[in-house]
Amino acid sequence: MTSSETVSGPAPSPPPAPGSDVLLSVRGLQVHFPIKRGLVFDRTVGHVRAVDGVDLDVRRGQTYGLVGESGCGKSTFGRGLLRLEEPTGGSVIFDGQDIRSLKPEALRLMRRRMQMVFQDPLASLDPRQSVQSLLSEPLTVHGLSTADAEEFGRDSSSSHLAKAAAMLEVVGLPRGALAKYPHEFSGGQRQRIGIARAMILNPDLVIADEPVSALDVSVQAQVINLLEHLQDLLGLTYIVIAHDLAVVRHISDVIGVMYLGRLVEEAPSDDLYAQPLHPYTIALMSAIPIPDPEIEDHRERILLRGDLPSPANPPSGCRFHTRCPYRQQTRCDTEEPVLRDLGAVAPGRRVACHYAEEILAGQIAISDPSLQIDPVAG
Amino acid sequence: MSETVTLEPGGRRGRRATREPVDRHQALLEVKNLNVTFQRRGGRATRAVDGVSFSVKPGEVVGIVGESGSGKSVTSLAVMGLLPSRGVQVSGEALYRGRNLLTMGNQELSSLRGRDLAMVFQDPMSSLNPVIPVGLQVTEVLRRHEDLTRQQARDEAEDLLRRCGIPDPRRRLGEYPHQLSGGMRQRALIAIALACKPALLICDEPTTALDVTIQAQVLELLKELVSELGTAMVMITHDLGVVAGLCDFVNVMYAGRVVESADRRELFAHPRHRYTHGLLNSIPRLDSPRGEALRPIPGTPRDTIAWSKACAFAPRCQFADDDCVVDDLELAPLGAAGHRVRCVHPAPEEDK
Amino acid sequence: MTAEPLSARPQALTDLMGDVGLDERGTSLWQGAFQRLRRNPSAIIGALIVLAFVLVAVFAPLIAPYEPAKSQWIDQVTPSTVPGHSAEHLLGLDPLGSDLFTQLVYGARQSLIIGIVSTAFGLAGGVILGTLAGGLGGWVDTLVMRLVDILLSIPSLLLAVSIAAMLGQRPSAIMIAIGAAQVPIFARLLRGSMLAQRNQDYVLASFSLGLRRRTIVMSHVLPNSLGPVIVQATLTLATAIIEVAALSYLGLGAPDPAVAEWGRMLVKAQDRLQSDPHLTLLPGICIAVTALGFTLLGESLREALDPKSRR
Repeated sequence: MTSSETVSGPAPSPPPAPGSDVLLSVRGLQVHFPIKRGLVFDRTVGHVRAVDGVDLDVRRGQTYGLVGESGCGKSTFGRGLLRLEEPTGGSVIFDGQDIRSLKPEALRLMRRRMQMVFQDPLASLDPRQSVQSLLSEPLTVHGLSTADAEEFGRDSSSSHLAKAAAMLEVVGLPRGALAKYPHEFSGGQRQRIGIARAMILNPDLVIADEPVSALDVSVQAQVINLLEHLQDLLGLTYIVIAHDLAVVRHISDVIGVMYLGRLVEEAPSDDLYAQPLHPYTIALMSAIPIPDPEIEDHRERILLRGDLPSPANPPSGCRFHTRCPYRQQTRCDTEEPVLRDLGAVAPGRRVACHYAEEILAGQIAISDPSLQIDPVAG
Repeated sequence: MSETVTLEPGGRRGRRATREPVDRHQALLEVKNLNVTFQRRGGRATRAVDGVSFSVKPGEVVGIVGESGSGKSVTSLAVMGLLPSRGVQVSGEALYRGRNLLTMGNQELSSLRGRDLAMVFQDPMSSLNPVIPVGLQVTEVLRRHEDLTRQQARDEAEDLLRRCGIPDPRRRLGEYPHQLSGGMRQRALIAIALACKPALLICDEPTTALDVTIQAQVLELLKELVSELGTAMVMITHDLGVVAGLCDFVNVMYAGRVVESADRRELFAHPRHRYTHGLLNSIPRLDSPRGEALRPIPGTPRDTIAWSKACAFAPRCQFADDDCVVDDLELAPLGAAGHRVRCVHPAPEEDK
Repeated sequence: MTAEPLSARPQALTDLMGDVGLDERGTSLWQGAFQRLRRNPSAIIGALIVLAFVLVAVFAPLIAPYEPAKSQWIDQVTPSTVPGHSAEHLLGLDPLGSDLFTQLVYGARQSLIIGIVSTAFGLAGGVILGTLAGGLGGWVDTLVMRLVDILLSIPSLLLAVSIAAMLGQRPSAIMIAIGAAQVPIFARLLRGSMLAQRNQDYVLASFSLGLRRRTIVMSHVLPNSLGPVIVQATLTLATAIIEVAALSYLGLGAPDPAVAEWGRMLVKAQDRLQSDPHLTLLPGICIAVTALGFTLLGESLREALDPKSRR
């Protein structure tokens, strides 16, 4: 009931070998949550298909941006990669190692190389720990990396302290912050602490789940710049998960768009903005306000009908067909589109729509004119 | 009050006609020198809103933009008379059709609220009563302010929900708030606010909790409302994108004061206050060329100085110098007509 | 690029900004709660009462004019009268012929010991069971919680009475009995608190840092969950003192009838309520005031630890 039928069409390319350019390779990842009911004994009556068959590759040093609206499964996907939510199907190959087959202890040690930055910096820091304790705890668990041990010395507590202070400086906080507690900082400073803690173990991959959406507008840019700065400094690979396409586009090299547990489109960042191919991406893009009245007044806006369907019972065929402004009579509601390469039409891009070429060529128009808001005259 | 409110039994249309004719050129709401001070037991008094003035005409959308602590939400709550009476001092004037809302008696105010003035809050879940069906919450407002039978109110409510973009409204009327999705709830809340076709609608971050595609639907709905019914709207938000597409006139607030106010096009084309200017440069834009580094404003909204001593933004401003240490800096006209800025070293006009 | 170019800020502004920068010392949550407590008048009243009670209990031998429970003046007590205030006896005698003031002072000691020991016993048991249930989850949780439900379905005084009856007339029996009745309350409270903490992002963050489950439960989830339990313990101290009095009243107290204990003093004097009301009133007031002190302190602690009152 959970697996097998989800990946249809041509088989995805095999995961790359260790040491290759690809750091993380995900194939057919599923995270399903059972829906339980029952008075005495819980019976499973269905599954919420939060993540339902996602394939993607993340290259070393790259930033992969994952966008989608609430309920599309993007956060669950991020947690599934680290097995903070246990995946129910598919594979996650990180630097040649299959994460899903790791034993608990090996997984625990592996997590040192894959770190996470959370949305709400106050909730993700233990309120009782001082910054010093927050930063040195991961070092106590895993020890300093070899390079750090050479720099800061092998004597543990003093070298941990030195490393923590150095890390604080990197994220732009004074050394005096070490003795303080999370509630004594502003939102932006807390997020810096969260970032410092994620980076202190010298990870290879950092998954940032809505890293700026809880912050004040004027502070968001500081944190975005910090993330970019750290990537250059430490040679990190990022997966940035966010609902704000403008933020994701700014920071990412490649963007994947998720809808209802599936990847519907993947493209290099610039191409996606220049020419979105999937109807959902087109609508999403047109809905994002741009802080410029001249542009706002002359943009064509496509409204989507209704709300996100339940991930416990996704629509048949293409999951987007219930809201799709380009919906066609055939195939859309019966046949599930595969995330496919468009080849010469749009090199380097993947899209899950039967009619992507036709939409791109302008052969298919929006079926319901009321959904299309033309620039207002005047 | 006798001349303004004439309660007349009869149909909706009849009552509507008895309301004062809408003069599109006269301000419907005029806020003058609004001050709000919070005083907690044993604590220092903090001035959340400091001399804020603005006005709204029918069919106009006035935006109030700011970050946390800028006082934008407190402004709206003060105008609606929704601040707690203990520990809060409100002074100044908020004239609605010439009557001061701030000094009005409770009874008079609540007869205006819902019928003439309505408010939409950010969090639809906590603004709806969780144990009462949505339909009843809409009809309640209708029947309180208008003389309608139960059936008429029900039909009216159904019509409202449909026009607010809620599919299958008859079924939704019987459902409870938790059964609706976030977007639906916000639309239900807007339907309640619109129930009596208020002359003035105050929206406090109405779309912040919503996804962008749903936000687009809700904003479209609000735009229609303003253009079709001539509703005057105050839009409170932190999102400059929302402001750019919706508001006619924009007030930018920082640390309790308006630091810049201008016509929408003028503000975005020539932001003059260093805060507005910096903010527009610091946010990533969907259409900006990639690879361009963001230029963030340093510090946090907490790093401020009392306006009575110096410019409150000076601690975060790269252009601050000793001249910025002046008490009670003026919001002075600058450049185009209607453009006012509270800054010692405003950004040059051509520098966008 | 992340270090803000604020060094260029003019001096006049820097002076005005005052404490905008970070000072060196941090304030932990407990320190913050303590600071809020100090500003709360009812906390201060509660603390003063509790402090007075503890001082009296600790320095009983110095305060009391005589040895306790000696019944030296039994010959002065008649079935109809108990001698009242006199030069030697501030508050007169008790019905067993001991000095009433001395008995009250030593009663504080007895009540404090029983209160602390029984609450500590209840707390220890509750924390162990609660941590097992809240930390391990799964079938352990189910098992522990069903046990707790069964214990909670018995009225606590009845439970204490049966345990005290089973253990016999030993001084420790009453403490164990009262403590045992508190175990399920603490266990359930702690488990609920831990479950709420376990859903916090920082637990997820700890897992993603590669911390061991045991470390996460013991050094993150548990300490953050203890706040409500500590508040409850303070409140329980008050009820424990009342329950000791109740058990003594039912005749399940310590074996030696002359040992000063407020509850028993109440019992011994009840047939003289008409003639000498002060014999019941005084220990009654002692019990009430002490309980009030702990309750005030506990309630203010709850307020001070409330996340909503934090900045």
